[in-house]
Amino acid sequence: MKRDVYVAVSFLLAFLVISYAVTVKDVLGIAQNPLRPLGEFYLSHAFAHEGPTSHSPEVVTAIVWNYRGFDTLFETFVFFLAIMGALSVLRLTKEQEKEVRELEAREPHRQMDLIVRATVKLVVIMIVSISASIALHGHLTPGGGFQGGSAMAVASLLLFAAFSKFTLERKGLTLRHTVSAYALGLALILTTVIVPVFLYGGKVLEINLLPEEIGLFNLDVGEYTAVTFGFLTVFLVLGVSEWIFKNVLRREVQ
Amino acid sequence: MIASFLIFYITITLFAMTLLGVYGVATRSNLIKKIIMLNVMGDAINMLFILIGYRLVYPVFPPIYEKHLTVEEFLSRAVDPVPQALVLTAVVIGMAMNILLATYAIQFYRLHGTIDARDMAEIMRGERE
Repeated sequence: MKRDVYVAVSFLLAFLVISYAVTVKDVLGIAQNPLRPLGEFYLSHAFAHEGPTSHSPEVVTAIVWNYRGFDTLFETFVFFLAIMGALSVLRLTKEQEKEVRELEAREPHRQMDLIVRATVKLVVIMIVSISASIALHGHLTPGGGFQGGSAMAVASLLLFAAFSKFTLERKGLTLRHTVSAYALGLALILTTVIVPVFLYGGKVLEINLLPEEIGLFNLDVGEYTAVTFGFLTVFLVLGVSEWIFKNVLRREVQ
Repeated sequence: MIASFLIFYITITLFAMTLLGVYGVATRSNLIKKIIMLNVMGDAINMLFILIGYRLVYPVFPPIYEKHLTVEEFLSRAVDPVPQALVLTAVVIGMAMNILLATYAIQFYRLHGTIDARDMAEIMRGERE
């Protein structure tokens, strides 16, 4: 308890010092209304009308995929590693998987009320169309593959809540399918990244050599697929009922 | 005058939120609360980044080039795009981190029946269960 008080007081002191520095000394430079040189460079060079540039009037997309492309590529890899980490932590042996499937088959067919189901169907259609428009216009307007994919993840969570995991799996949304779709998205990204080397003799990720906005569009679509199905994969693995998991796992531990 | 006062006010609030997040991560022992406070901290820092890129001019443009603008006009009006691009990266990494942390927490709960950090430490040292 006493330690908590010390921590709180020291944080309060830090806050006072920081607010003094920000307001009176203006260490962040917010008050002077500046445009930093780096931002000025990107703003003035990222247009499609100045020779071989990014083909994107949206400067943030241009920075993300064209000037800092490797950064974004590795960020996709980080996401990939996180999902693979989650899958490998939650993995089961063949026998355990079989057991889980048998236990799940015995679960009653639970889903929510008719009103909820009808509403969720409508809302999911809207979410899917909005997320697709966010992702497919990613090279022209704010947004892009990752934002669209995150919006799609919300739709899949809604489906999980209203219809339960079993209904979705019986409709064909199994782990195998989602992982394959995830791999397809990643493959599209990798192809788009490597194609300039073979077709135009450029470097890896030199997507401005591709005609028009094809490069940016492909990358956005690939990222959209990857993020959507990556999230779905994790949700499917996490969606196994708690008591089943306890039954199967705890026995192994003891 | 009012605008700059508002910006300072928001900045200081965001700093306070960051410190609150650090405090929560340091003192709470429930793993879920730790993850929530980590998110509060991350979001506050991301907002702060966006705010640093903002400019006090009127009218202020988003960094999207339109045909009828000259470059000088655009440069004098548009906000700084670099912080936005950095935050875009940070958001993705934060999401990946959340997935992994939630997975670990859930798996630990399934195996040992607790997500209290002190209990977890005891279990890891082999003093219990």
